[in-house]
This record gives sequence, C-alpha cells and structure tokens, in this order.
Amino acid sequence: MRSWSRERSWEVLLALILVGTIAYNATQSDVYLDVDNFVNIFRLSIEKVIIAVAMTFVIVSGEIDLSVASVMAFSACTLAFAYDSGVPFWLAIVLALVAAAAAGLLQGWVIASTGISSLVVTLAGLIGFRGAARVLLEDRSIGDFPAWFGDVGRADFIGPMPFGLVLFLVLLVLGGIVLHRSVVGRRLFVLGDNAEVARFSGIDVARTKVLLFIASAFVAGVAGVLFAARLGSVRANIGEGFELDIITMVLLGGVSIFGGSGTLLGVALAIGIVLNLRNGLGLANVESNTQTGVIGVLLIASVLAQNALDRLPLRRSGADAQEAAA
Amino acid sequence: MRQHKLIAALACLLLFAAACGDDDDTESSSSGSDSGGSAGEAVTIEGGDDMNSILLPKCTGIAVFDQANEGAQEAAEELGTSEPEFLGPSTCEDPTGQIETMTNAATQGVDAVMISNNAGEQIQSGVDAATDADVSVVSWDSPIPSGEGESLFVAQVDFDETGVVMADMALDILGDEGGQLAILSASPDASNQNAWIEAFNTALEDEKYANLELVDTVYGNDDSDESYNQALGLIDSHPDLKLIMAPTTVGIAAAGKAMTDEGLCDQVKVSGLGLPEEMRGYTQSGCAPEFALWSFVDLGYLTYYATYGIATGQFDAVEGQKFTAGRMGEYTIEKDPTRDSGLRIVMGPFTVYTEDNIDD
Repeated sequence: MRSWSRERSWEVLLALILVGTIAYNATQSDVYLDVDNFVNIFRLSIEKVIIAVAMTFVIVSGEIDLSVASVMAFSACTLAFAYDSGVPFWLAIVLALVAAAAAGLLQGWVIASTGISSLVVTLAGLIGFRGAARVLLEDRSIGDFPAWFGDVGRADFIGPMPFGLVLFLVLLVLGGIVLHRSVVGRRLFVLGDNAEVARFSGIDVARTKVLLFIASAFVAGVAGVLFAARLGSVRANIGEGFELDIITMVLLGGVSIFGGSGTLLGVALAIGIVLNLRNGLGLANVESNTQTGVIGVLLIASVLAQNALDRLPLRRSGADAQEAAA
Repeated sequence: MRQHKLIAALACLLLFAAACGDDDDTESSSSGSDSGGSAGEAVTIEGGDDMNSILLPKCTGIAVFDQANEGAQEAAEELGTSEPEFLGPSTCEDPTGQIETMTNAATQGVDAVMISNNAGEQIQSGVDAATDADVSVVSWDSPIPSGEGESLFVAQVDFDETGVVMADMALDILGDEGGQLAILSASPDASNQNAWIEAFNTALEDEKYANLELVDTVYGNDDSDESYNQALGLIDSHPDLKLIMAPTTVGIAAAGKAMTDEGLCDQVKVSGLGLPEEMRGYTQSGCAPEFALWSFVDLGYLTYYATYGIATGQFDAVEGQKFTAGRMGEYTIEKDPTRDSGLRIVMGPFTVYTEDNIDD
C-alpha cells in the first residue's frame, strides 16, 4: 500500500514526464543526447538547482524562503566588493559565505523569536539583501577574479562535470540521506506537518528554524560564489527572480507548500524536467518569454494534478497519516 | 486513480505538443566550398550555400535591434539562404540569457551566431562552447571584449570617433561656457557603451573641452522605466547639471521624456545616440538639440553578409582581407585598435541629427 502513496505515484508521473521530455528532445536534435549537452543543461542553471535542494528542506518544514536569490546576490557582491577593496581572494570568499550565513541567522532569529510568518520575513529579506547588494556595488560590474576561480566555475572537475555540478550531486545525496533517513529529517517533517505536535514531542522548534534558515542562506551564499566563478563578474542585479524558478522546481517535485510532505527524489526529477524542457525549447528556438510561460503552465498543471491525486480514495484511507507517524 | 493519472499525464503531454509542435526542422547543411580570396583582392560575397544562423541582440523589444534584424533578413533573402533566427533575452538587464542562447547554439550546431554582446566578459564560456562546435561567431554593435573565439567584429563606427562625436555635440550644445554633464548608459556590462564612455573621457581631456565637466555615470540597463528614473536621479543629485549624454537609444529617449515631463528642457539638455523616429519631438522642442546615430538596418545587413562570407568559407577573417558585401560595398578587415586583440571592419558613417535634418 505504502509504495502507492501520493508521493510515490507523483514520482512515477514525474519520471514519465522526464523520460517523455528527453525522448522528445532527442528526436529534435542529434546533439541533445551528448554528455556535453547534459552537462551544459546543468551548468547554465547550477546555482538554482543547488539552492533548490536547500529550499526543499525549508518547504518540507512548513516554511518558505523568498530571500534566496537576494542573499545569493548579496554574497556575490560581498565577494566582489571585498576583493575590489584589496582583501585577499580566499578571505573575500570566506566573507561572502559568512555574510550569507549572517543573513540567514538574522531572518531565522526574527521568524523564531517573533512568530512572524517566514513569508513576510523573507519577503523583507528579498528586498533588504538585494538593497544591501546594490549599496555594495552600486552600478558597477566587478570582475577580473583570479584565473583559478574562473576554472572553478567553468573547467571540468571530475570527468566532464564542473565543480558546481559535482557539488550539486553530493548535496542531493547527502540531503536525501539527512531528509529521509535521519532523525533530523524526520523532525523537519513533523515540524512541517504540525508545529504543535513537534513542540510536544520535544523538538526545539525555535532552534530548528534558526538553523534551517542559516542553512538555506548559506547554500544561497555558496551559489552566489559559484555564480561569480561561472560568469567571471558580478553585478548587484544578478539572479533577480531566481527564487520563483527555484520554488517552482520544488513544488513541481511534489513537495507540499503547506509542509510535511515531499521527497528530494521528486525534486530531483522536477529539476530534470524543468532544465530539459528549457533546453529543448531553447534548441527549438522558442523565445525565452514563451519558455517561461510553458513552465508556468506546467506548474499549474502539476498543482491541479496533485490536488486530483489528493482526492483519491486511497489517500483518504490515511496513507499519509501512517507515513507521518512512521 | 489510474484514470486521474492518465488525465494528468495527458495534460502534460499536451503541453509539450503545444510548446514544441511548431518548430521548423532545419538540418544544417555542410558549409565551406572554395576557400580562397588572397589578401589584396576583394572577394565578392555570393550566395549558393545555405547558412543556419542566429542573430542574437542584447535583448528583444528594442527598435534598433529590430532594424538590424530587418537588414539581416534582407541580406539573407539576397543571398538565398535560410532566414536568421532572431533570438535574445527578453530583458537587457540579465546577461545570462545571452550565455544560454550562445551555449544552445553550440548544441544546435548552427553555422553562425551574430551577437551584440551585452554580457561583457561573461559571454566567454558561451563563445568557447560555440567555437568548439565549429560555430562561426561574429559580433556586431558590441564586441566580445577579449576578441577570443570571435571571427570578426562589425563595428558600426570607430569607437574612438564616437567619443569625439559625443564631446563635439556636448560642446556645441553647452557652448564655450561649458558646464556639468552626466552620462546615462545602458548596462554596466555593455562592451560598446563602456568603450564609448572611455573614448568620451579621453576626448574630454583635450584643451578644447576644458569647460565640460563630467560629474557622474549612471546605468539604465536599456530599460525605459529605469533609464527615466536614473535621469531624474541625476537632476536630484546634481542641481547644476546642464546636459545628459546617453550613448544608448533607450537612454536618450527616456532622458528626453523625463526632462520634458518635468519641464526642465531649458536647464538640462539631452544628447547622445538616438533614433530619429524616437527623438523627433525632443529635437524640435529643443530638449535634444543634437544627437547622432548610424543605420542599424545597414549594420544588420553588413553583419549578415560578412558572417555568410566567413561561415561559407568564401574568405578567411584575417587582417588585410578585403570583401564586397552587396549594396554596402567594399570593406577591409583590420586590427581593432580599441581592444587588445580582435579584428574588425568599420561601417560608418555617423549622422548627426539636428532640427535641420531630423525630418529628412
């Protein structure tokens, strides 16, 4: 019975869509199936997919982090600003990561201590940290980073894979273990399902939330550094609107926006679908506006489909409740 | 339950069909016939081979880039080849779209990409991917800063001359008493605008312009709203400002509108590079007494011809090579003096528009 829970059937559907997308793209372009193209597909969106892993944790816990793209820019701008002011490059990277983690600490602390919804707090973060990035760099574009740093963003690291892609895969596996096979993960699910229950079962809700937002911001900070490495220069407006693409991937992956359910495998499949779809549409010379539209429609369809799955008789028999209790 | 899943799956499949159903499946034909044309003798570019290409503007929705596309389509028709795909990011703000299109071009295996670079050095990874896949990359309007991977840059005008033309217009408008002026540019990563601003700064060092004081440089990202606000911001931060110099058609029109809306045209003039169609009203009202531009239709036309000649192997992009590009006549490839390395041809000329010739 369990294998046909809502999550499993959603994953099967996603896998089918992914296979369909890949099969369709393969008929459209002879080079689509090249390893290089697959690497490129990820390379072009590596920052988003890395953040999506962290976002899965946040949403499963019943929270949301809208500030990730701004924190990413804030981190990259801190790096560029520090380096431009004469700070050694390695220290500039450390500062960038510390700045990002501090941004997460601040937001997590406000959320945990005041009880204000993370939607509101991180919306303020979205505006605030973007503003901070603009204060740091104003209108400038700062580049000329050391050559090795460019290699981190572009050169092959293991086989044909750049560093960012390896990092993503490692994060995905580690994240999967932590979220689905550890006590920490189980607590996050309980927290997302019902914060009251979590409190009564001895989970330090406030501390968990603070750590959650620090982790989310830190990963966004890492993504910001990778973005700087990949593009070779930084501006305050980088990654504007990324948060929506990231949340789209997570929700399409079957993670409930209300928290308490979802799998990282589903998110990984959704990432595969979104990236391959975009790539396929790009190879078919479909305009970027239309691409965004298609992905928007896909998200709506996915939410409707999930809703339909939720109404299945099987679900009413309490498969989900069993799972939460497990 | 099975039924529900079936419906969901069908819905998703329909989405794909709708999205991908109407692409025309163009197979790339082999390029490269007779490679030849020794230096010294102009190669007349002729049709015959097919070329699949992408015309990649800084972003779509900007009049001058549509004009360049018009010119490129005209050239493709004359040469009897496939129409170039006009593809670009929807906003000039985000350079990653250009990188994506460039990288996809490598995967698609098109024969050539013609780019007006809006991503500064960031474009390099995309250009490298393209050249690795034997895609000819020709830049126009705005070059690849390093010149690496780029066969040729089709420069609209000499970039140093742009600086002098802008300085002369500023001097003309402000007169001998001079005054404060500020630059309203496109994006901070636009290679062409950055080169012009640098050339403008260099030009201003001349004695002749001693009374012109450049006080600020701001960026409107070739977005009308943002440029409008930046123009107003300049007025606030520099009360003695006499002139806004905008080396971008979007910026100059936005500045003209901002000054007109605020009734400031008597105090603050607008100049730079503008489209006559968009600037007529401001020139006639005295808000933008002088501005300059070249033909973007010609630029697109010339770019397509040059790219076609290179991609089909009719000539090599080497210094000293001459070629004839349809109605535009003969050009000689030269070292680009405005970059450390890279080759260019210069189209020219500038047309300076004033009240007297704006209606021509």
